[in-house]
Amino acid sequence: MQAAISVIIGQVRLIWPRMLLWGLAFAILSQAVMLLALIARFGALPNYVTFYHWIGNVAWIITSTPSWSDIPPIIADEWLIEIGRMNYDYGTGISEWSLNVMPSRLMLLFGLGALIGLSADLVRRESCSIPARRGATLATGAAAMLVAMTNATMSWVVCCATPTWVVGLSMMGLGVSTSLALERLGPVFSYLGFALLIATILGLAHRKSARQSPYKETTHA
Amino acid sequence: MTFPILRASLISAAIATLASTVSAETISIAIGHQSMCTDTYTAGIVVKELGLLEKNLPHDGKYADADYEVSWADYSSGGPITNQMMANKLNFGVMGDYPLIVNGAKFQETDSLRTLYVAGTGYNVKGSGNSIVVPVDSDIYSIEQLAGKEVSTPVGSAAWGMLLKAMQDNNIPTADYVLKNQSPAVGAANIAAGKIDAHSDFCPWSEIMEFRGTGRKIYDGSETGVPYLHGVVVRQDFAEEYPEVVEAFIKAVYQAGEWIRADPMKAVSEMEGWTGVEKEVLYLYFSKGGHLTLDPTIKPAWVDALKFDHEVLVKEKAIPPLDFNAWITEDYVKAAYADLGVDYEAEKAVTVDPKENNAGLPMEIWHARDGISSYPDMAAFLTALAEMTSTGAKLNASYVYDSETGLKLFGKTAFWVKAGDTYATYLRKGEAESYATANGGALITFEDAIADFTIEG
Repeated sequence: MQAAISVIIGQVRLIWPRMLLWGLAFAILSQAVMLLALIARFGALPNYVTFYHWIGNVAWIITSTPSWSDIPPIIADEWLIEIGRMNYDYGTGISEWSLNVMPSRLMLLFGLGALIGLSADLVRRESCSIPARRGATLATGAAAMLVAMTNATMSWVVCCATPTWVVGLSMMGLGVSTSLALERLGPVFSYLGFALLIATILGLAHRKSARQSPYKETTHA
Repeated sequence: MTFPILRASLISAAIATLASTVSAETISIAIGHQSMCTDTYTAGIVVKELGLLEKNLPHDGKYADADYEVSWADYSSGGPITNQMMANKLNFGVMGDYPLIVNGAKFQETDSLRTLYVAGTGYNVKGSGNSIVVPVDSDIYSIEQLAGKEVSTPVGSAAWGMLLKAMQDNNIPTADYVLKNQSPAVGAANIAAGKIDAHSDFCPWSEIMEFRGTGRKIYDGSETGVPYLHGVVVRQDFAEEYPEVVEAFIKAVYQAGEWIRADPMKAVSEMEGWTGVEKEVLYLYFSKGGHLTLDPTIKPAWVDALKFDHEVLVKEKAIPPLDFNAWITEDYVKAAYADLGVDYEAEKAVTVDPKENNAGLPMEIWHARDGISSYPDMAAFLTALAEMTSTGAKLNASYVYDSETGLKLFGKTAFWVKAGDTYATYLRKGEAESYATANGGALITFEDAIADFTIEG
């Protein structure tokens, strides 16, 4: 394990700018994909966008929330941008659907993207069997899917609903009861995704360290 | 300058500075309301537009030199209001029973934040306000016929809770129908397009669909017998710091109700301009005999209803527990009533049941030019309608009552029964047919009923 972690640290030092790019690209692309999914699903372009004073709001939450433990989950729900479609057929308008860009989720997706970049790099350098490489790629993809899916911030405005990851599943036609049952499992799926990704990275690093050991011994001999 | 003089000067300066700081205090009051939810209007749009809160805010004692900054934020549901209250961007929230419970439970889940349920806005004792609507040309007339059909509802809303209970009460298990999650606007559009078999929604969506001629009500929330109510929550830290402001808000809620009761036609006409909801639909709620009883008091039955709703939410959405004793307080509403010189206990003891309350109320016609006129019996009502229609007069709406439940209905959407010379109106076709069979009558259309009183030539 120690050797694997050393390999990971070495790899991070080597490719950190690429990892940053992966993170940035993943965070931005995930927002774009969600927006495109909403447009495709509802067959309409967004007709409103609202920008929120995120920094000011966060500062206000910190100063006005007595308990430190209450602050992170409240900040996590703060929006930066809301882009969606307003229906003006009824009353003064109702937002039918929207994408909510939330910095907390952006940061999480950024982290996910960076880890995917690291995993992809380790896979690329993996000189072992093709099945092992395919397995690692598959595990990375599945992990990315789990985390990205459970951190979707699309809102399909139903009464009393807030942006939740199962909106994506509902949009794809998943039943209400199943969606509600799955909603509670969101954090579990997210942790599972990260665990799978980290395990994959550790596995790849371990293989790499195992291959490096005999080579090092020979050089020292 | 001697030392004592210097010290006295410094103390005086400090006191003066402190005093000016206090006097310059600006109290920000932020309220989240819902302009597309009729039952919240007396704590939302009416208070806002009439400036009732500002009229009641204290300006004496510790508030002698305080400045107030009142802001209103309009939402299409209660969920975001709770989120904004948690972020302390809203002090007050106005919402329906299910979102209220989520609000209380979510706050109690935190270490340091709490809300208080301080007043109601209005209610329907049997649960009217929520209902199930089908496309107007649908061959579905009763809830039993929904087995095997697609039904949509805004999941998490009071209408969703009502739908679940209605289906259970009628022995339709969830496996026997397809439940879809649809927002009010989407559900209403799908009903208009006939894309969904039925849609369950909260006030005033069902009536909007009926008024626009796209939907027909087959089930009214009153059949579940669970009261439907809305109320006001406030952050506890704000309430403890500014209790008089909370009382001022509740006084405004009471006065908003008084303003509506004084002249419902004028009130709904104004509200139409503020909310975009048709005044004829709003009249169904806010007129005498309407679906909504405006009443800020907190009755024991409401607490029981909220507990029932919480059980539903725990089962279906795994929401956190809620300590009702810590959450609900009558202190502020009692103080507000006392200030207004109104007997709180007397008002709390009164519960309006449409079946009893609406018995004998006159039918009404809303003439586009002449306003609303009342008719004590069906013959007079239909005669007036016949005369008006024969002259080509533009009628906004007409209102009758369901013979079964006492609910106020649009004349054009009621099921009409003619038995001999008598006419009766019903919300549901099944009950109309039963009455017709029992009394040797027949179902007729609204137009047929008017035609009976039209004088040729």
